Amino acid sequence: MGLIERSETGATRERGTSGGERRHVTATRYVTVLCPDWPVVAWGIPLEEPAAVFVANRVVACSPGARRDGVAVGQRRRDAQGRCPDLAILEQDIDREARLFEPVAGALTDITPEVEVSGPGVVGFPTLGPSKFFGGDVALSEKIAETLAPILGDRGNLYLGIADGMFGSRLAAKTSAQVGEFAGESTPIIVDAGGSAGFLAGFGVSELELPDLADVLMRLGLRTLGDFAALHQNDVVDRFGAEGRLAHRLAKGIDQFPPNLRKPAADLAATWWFDPPTERIDTCAFAAKALADELNRSLNDRGLACIRVAIEAETENGEEFSRLWRHEGTLSAAALAERARWQMDGWLHQARMGHASAGNNPDAGVGSAIARLSLIPDEVVPATGRQLGFWGGRAERADDVSRAVARIQGILGAESVRVPEWSGGRGPAEQIRLIPAAAVDLGEPRDGADPNHIAQPWPGQIPPPSPSQIGSEWGRIDLLSNRGEPVAVTGRGELVGSPQLMVIGGDEVEVDRWAGPWPADERWWDPAAHRRRARMQVVLEDGTAHLLVTEQQQWTIEATY
Amino acid sequence: MSGQTSGLATIDPSVLEAVRPTTLSKEQLLDVPEVLQPLFPWKGLQRGWSVGVSGGGAWMLTAAMLAPSLGEEGWMAVVGAPLINLAAAAEVGLRMDRVLVVDTPPAGQWGTVIASLLEAVQAVVIEPATRIGARDARRIGARLREQRGTLVHLDGGSSWPSSLDMGLTCVTDEWQGIGEGHGYLRYRRVSVSAVGRRSASRPRSVSLWMPGPDGPLTTAEPVEELATVRQLRPVS
Repeated sequence: MGLIERSETGATRERGTSGGERRHVTATRYVTVLCPDWPVVAWGIPLEEPAAVFVANRVVACSPGARRDGVAVGQRRRDAQGRCPDLAILEQDIDREARLFEPVAGALTDITPEVEVSGPGVVGFPTLGPSKFFGGDVALSEKIAETLAPILGDRGNLYLGIADGMFGSRLAAKTSAQVGEFAGESTPIIVDAGGSAGFLAGFGVSELELPDLADVLMRLGLRTLGDFAALHQNDVVDRFGAEGRLAHRLAKGIDQFPPNLRKPAADLAATWWFDPPTERIDTCAFAAKALADELNRSLNDRGLACIRVAIEAETENGEEFSRLWRHEGTLSAAALAERARWQMDGWLHQARMGHASAGNNPDAGVGSAIARLSLIPDEVVPATGRQLGFWGGRAERADDVSRAVARIQGILGAESVRVPEWSGGRGPAEQIRLIPAAAVDLGEPRDGADPNHIAQPWPGQIPPPSPSQIGSEWGRIDLLSNRGEPVAVTGRGELVGSPQLMVIGGDEVEVDRWAGPWPADERWWDPAAHRRRARMQVVLEDGTAHLLVTEQQQWTIEATY
Repeated sequence: MSGQTSGLATIDPSVLEAVRPTTLSKEQLLDVPEVLQPLFPWKGLQRGWSVGVSGGGAWMLTAAMLAPSLGEEGWMAVVGAPLINLAAAAEVGLRMDRVLVVDTPPAGQWGTVIASLLEAVQAVVIEPATRIGARDARRIGARLREQRGTLVHLDGGSSWPSSLDMGLTCVTDEWQGIGEGHGYLRYRRVSVSAVGRRSASRPRSVSLWMPGPDGPLTTAEPVEELATVRQLRPVS
């Protein structure tokens, strides 16, 4: 009896879910506005000029001018420079990108209050209400383009995609960008209601942006999202777990998380009162970090994770500002703090830019000092959790370090703490680059900190050991030959005279041994950056060894061993 | 009374060990490379010590000394030393994903900055251009003992108002691989001498290759003529 009952309920449940999937599974219709060149635009470079933004020696964004010369995203720096010698090399400055993007997001609030920023250059909102109001998706996309045109001006192209589900609309916008680049004009791509699954089916599994999962799927012969979506959900969960289930939902063109999200309790909001009110971004950043930690802790205690957060600010005059930020995964404490910092920076920056623009746009930046900052988790999902080390370990230690870093940033400024990254180069000073700690997640392994990520050799490097000190408190020095004449290096890289004496700050020191010169003819293809130098190593009589460099017959100490 | 004494005697010795209020200083040691062990009284760096390092190659020696003490998870911070080359530290085994570089704090903020850092990182390396005030120094010292970290002064402690637990001096004896107009700097032989307070008061010294033919940090025989590059001379 009991047996039959169980099997019956089991069968009922089975039918219930499969039927339910067909009836209830929905995807919120969504529009994504994409500015693919935003990292370049943020640097204020005209789009016709070739320029590219690099992270770890790979192109992450480039201007249309650079693309015409064959530069593409993902290319190595050398290849990019090889194709386009005039290319302006820019470093990614994500804070600046986010700060300058705020007016774009702000302008969209004229259309709907539900504007969600995903990151610099990507913004979107659910179209249900706005689309009805403006008379359809086509009219809505025209309205968006019209609204943003005066804000963007000639600073970049924007591309629109409308589809069921955020993932679909993002891919539609990307496709629109590809088509638009080719055609020379921006045409929104609008996927019909219910057509998302079909639209997505043709894309490769790499579009899920889960490299490990995509790699396995490729080896299983599932090359497109359509192939992946055709699997049964149970099989996917069996093999790939929770992460696989979310990816599978995306591939099927439905929302990553079911729409019946728990509305979080109001007391989850984390609020910071500034006393006195502040206009300084580092004070705000400090508060944002503290709030993000607090919010993350209270969410963790409830087993929740946040996928959309509202960042609210109130000025001393009582004006209130609010912006929604969404993340495809879940927002970690560091990501929350970063978004809050970007948002505050964006508002404060607009305020600094003057009130000229504030006249015609009511949402153009805070006008006075900020008195309150709140982080309100707007949509939460059950946390799948992240595996920590057995004793807390690495992640916990990195949390301590992040807290200390935040405290010091509060004292010395946001850029005062930096972390090293290998950058590769010919001179000793170019081996390591320091990037702001605010721009990286200290708890995650960083590719740039691994010397193996510099794959290319740099011919002409001075072999190891590396000098222990770069630069010197002494500016120019003189190198004299045994005849008392200055030692020089000819245009052919030959030494005139044999070094005997080095004059540092008026003192004469005997040169014991020396090697070189090694000429370095750098960037000869670029008249502005072209440098002809020659390096030499000298050992002084007291055992000190220096790396000297001569440029235009002037010697300086480049490094000390 | 006698009953209480016998009660104590029956407690498992391992429990007594665990609840003993003090630990001997030789038990609070951080690993250092084997070749540097003769410099330290207990063959390791004591937690909570401040160490001065000076001389040519001081930064490389510091990095080599601290790299093993950080273990798998420890971090290191460098404060106010704008000229040091991190690539040299990487050559002696320091992991670049465990390093923070902090700008020089204004004169009155050294105490706050270093005390905050010591709460999270295991070792702090400083090279102050100005003297550190006595109040800041006391505050840093207290935090150092409490957090049991390591503070290294790259200027040998000249800007510190009180004396350090230990001072290392690194003197370059010889460079190999370079001649007069040929070769390049390859191997460096240094003598490192250590002297400090209390248990470290006896002077000790070692001779090292940094780097040498067999690796970035190896023991050198005090006097040994290694084959040098032979200079070619003109023949008739």
